[in-house]
Amino acid sequence: MMSKRHSNHALRALMACVAAMVALAILPSAAFALTTSKATARPNEDGGTGVIGGIPTRLTWEGTVDAGEQISGVTLELPAGTNFNSSTTKLTALEGLKRMSVEGEVVPEGSSLKVKFSEPVGEGLLIRLEVEGMTFPEEGGDVVVGGTYTESGKEKPLQAAKPIATIANTPLQKLVDHLDNQDWVAAWNSVQFLGMFLKPQIMVTSFASLFTGWLVCLFIVIVAYPFAIILGLIFALMKISKHRLLRAIAIVYINVLRGTPLFLQIYIMFFGLPMMNIVIDNNILGIIVMAINSSAYLAEIFRAGIESIPTGQYEAAASLGMGHLQTMIYVILPQTVRRVIPTVTSDFIMAFKDTSLLSSVGVMELMMFAKNLTSVTGNMTPYVTAAIFYLIVTLPLIKVVTIIEKRMANSERGGGPRPKVKAAAEKDAQDETSSAGAEPSLAEALSAPFKAGTSVFGGVADVR
Amino acid sequence: MKIVKKSWLICGLACLCALTLVLAGCGSSSSSAASDSSATASEPEEVPVEAEAESTDEAATTEAEGSGWYASKEADANGYKLVEEGTIIGVSDMAYPPLESVVEGKSDEYEGFEIDVMGEVTNRLGLKMKWLNPMKFDAIIPLIKQGGKADVGVSSFTITDERKKEIDFSDSYIDSNQAIVMKEGSKLKGADDNATIENLNADGIVVCVQQGTTGEDWVKENLPKAQCLPLDNAIDCLHNLEAGKCDAAVADLPCMSFYCKESFKDFEVAVAIPTGEQYGIVVSKENAKLTEDINKALDEMKSDGTLDKLMEKWFGGNI
Repeated sequence: MMSKRHSNHALRALMACVAAMVALAILPSAAFALTTSKATARPNEDGGTGVIGGIPTRLTWEGTVDAGEQISGVTLELPAGTNFNSSTTKLTALEGLKRMSVEGEVVPEGSSLKVKFSEPVGEGLLIRLEVEGMTFPEEGGDVVVGGTYTESGKEKPLQAAKPIATIANTPLQKLVDHLDNQDWVAAWNSVQFLGMFLKPQIMVTSFASLFTGWLVCLFIVIVAYPFAIILGLIFALMKISKHRLLRAIAIVYINVLRGTPLFLQIYIMFFGLPMMNIVIDNNILGIIVMAINSSAYLAEIFRAGIESIPTGQYEAAASLGMGHLQTMIYVILPQTVRRVIPTVTSDFIMAFKDTSLLSSVGVMELMMFAKNLTSVTGNMTPYVTAAIFYLIVTLPLIKVVTIIEKRMANSERGGGPRPKVKAAAEKDAQDETSSAGAEPSLAEALSAPFKAGTSVFGGVADVR
Repeated sequence: MKIVKKSWLICGLACLCALTLVLAGCGSSSSSAASDSSATASEPEEVPVEAEAESTDEAATTEAEGSGWYASKEADANGYKLVEEGTIIGVSDMAYPPLESVVEGKSDEYEGFEIDVMGEVTNRLGLKMKWLNPMKFDAIIPLIKQGGKADVGVSSFTITDERKKEIDFSDSYIDSNQAIVMKEGSKLKGADDNATIENLNADGIVVCVQQGTTGEDWVKENLPKAQCLPLDNAIDCLHNLEAGKCDAAVADLPCMSFYCKESFKDFEVAVAIPTGEQYGIVVSKENAKLTEDINKALDEMKSDGTLDKLMEKWFGGNI
């Protein structure tokens, strides 16, 4: 008896609970004649993805009119600090995918926006309000779009949409605003060319947002280049090898890669490999393509460098009893390194610039960011900024090439740097203590060309 | 060393000065040329027009042209400022079938709904229609704004307030929507449209879009957590999708449903996003009379059913 009553009780409680839950589940949908679909805002951070408060942006609100209902007006209410006053609103109504004509009167009032349709909007229609030029509260934070709607003369609360995440103003954006208000900026931009290519506001924002792309470029080429050098050296040695097969492989590799545009190689790698079910991360694939492409050019440079060493050097090495490998490592390659440095640097510059081609396949590098910004702003300034970023790397390198070439030309003429008396004395002492009679290490041999006081002919052997 | 630095600075300043001088010089010389031609206004302006057209072909002079081509250009008898008298030169990316595309196998013939619309519009205006070689989508508005190469941009441009800041739009001639394209049977497809969109709005999801399109805007606004990958054109987006480099592509519905039907048969329009956007013809703000007359022609085409016929021809009645 007791147990039965107990179970009865429990059953009743359970039923009440279920009833409550069902009611809760049904109530919201039944209570709204207008179901809010979404409320979003367009990111207004230049070159970024944030929605910044206090700066004009576009709010999009969508709601669907439920079956058997007619909506004659919608009022959006946003937290204090929101400003609709200078906004313009576009009204759209859609039946499925078909655009319907809808007219209405829009009254912006501080943080609320009243929309009165001239004719009630019927069931099943999607209403979209696009409010251009409104601003969110300056302090940022999650903004809930609430409000009311009018159905047959009665005002009812609007179902709240997912809050919109906004952020407070950034220092960068403040600087842009500051520039916006300057007279000289306005005067500058009024010249069409300057406004199109050197607009200060966009210059500022693009510098900030292109920086990541610049790092990606540098990363790709700096990681790729060592591999390219190693590969290039291997293929250079293969090309001058006595074995026919090795030579053939190297020639095919070098000629195919040098004979086709990098752009094409990128396309083949990026769209061809996935077809063979090889999926590699875009950045890594970018590095691979750059390394392979550069290696072909470097192989030719190295080969030419090695072949430019006079036969006398080989003979001299042989007369010292050096084997082929020894001759290569200690005599020929160190001299080659010095000779190819300018060309390799030029090739590095080329490779660095060529990373821009990767933008067409979706690697987020410098050009990609610049293109994005240009397409967003319709202004060419980001390209100029990108050019500056490229020049930051290439100009010093070009200078380096010039300096090295000048030095080389000088020493080829026999006018190389002469060690000063004091330095020479120190150097002699050093030489005696550190490496008297010892064979030069590989690192020492390869770095010899960069040390001051080294003359070109004879390479390492001349140092001591 | 200091002297060296100073000389660099001086050199840079000199360059800047030279640049501004050149610009100023170009501005004044071209305006004087314009006044010359107005002085002999009784003569037809064919000669200066041709000279202009020729000079724009040279890359070296394009920068100078940029500093106010429209300002230095005389309006013709109709009040238009056209690059070539009697001809409207259009520019498009020609990679958006069935709206505009290159005729298969012929690199300089174009077809599509918008090509036909423009043909009809220019017919009604008594002008010839000429298309430039295809150009990247995001370069078209700057090109029209700058002037001197093309008169109108027709490349499925949605009329937006942001674009209106730069150029003028004609009235709309067709409505459009956005589409999310995914591989058929993708795991990301949810029970309904909202679920699919929710699935896509997640870290690690990559969504391809065409650069500078309303599709890009939509992804940035509605899928903030996903990575938006902007590419050069719509077909690149689909190739990326095919290659597994992204999870979805977002672009205009008419073009996407065409591609899904014709070329990428294992793709589907997973979600048709009702945006109700409208396409317009891009005309420079300096060419108000041209915009006005294009609008008149479009109105006529709407009322006499020509536009409907063209829609029927290219979309089979439904878009």
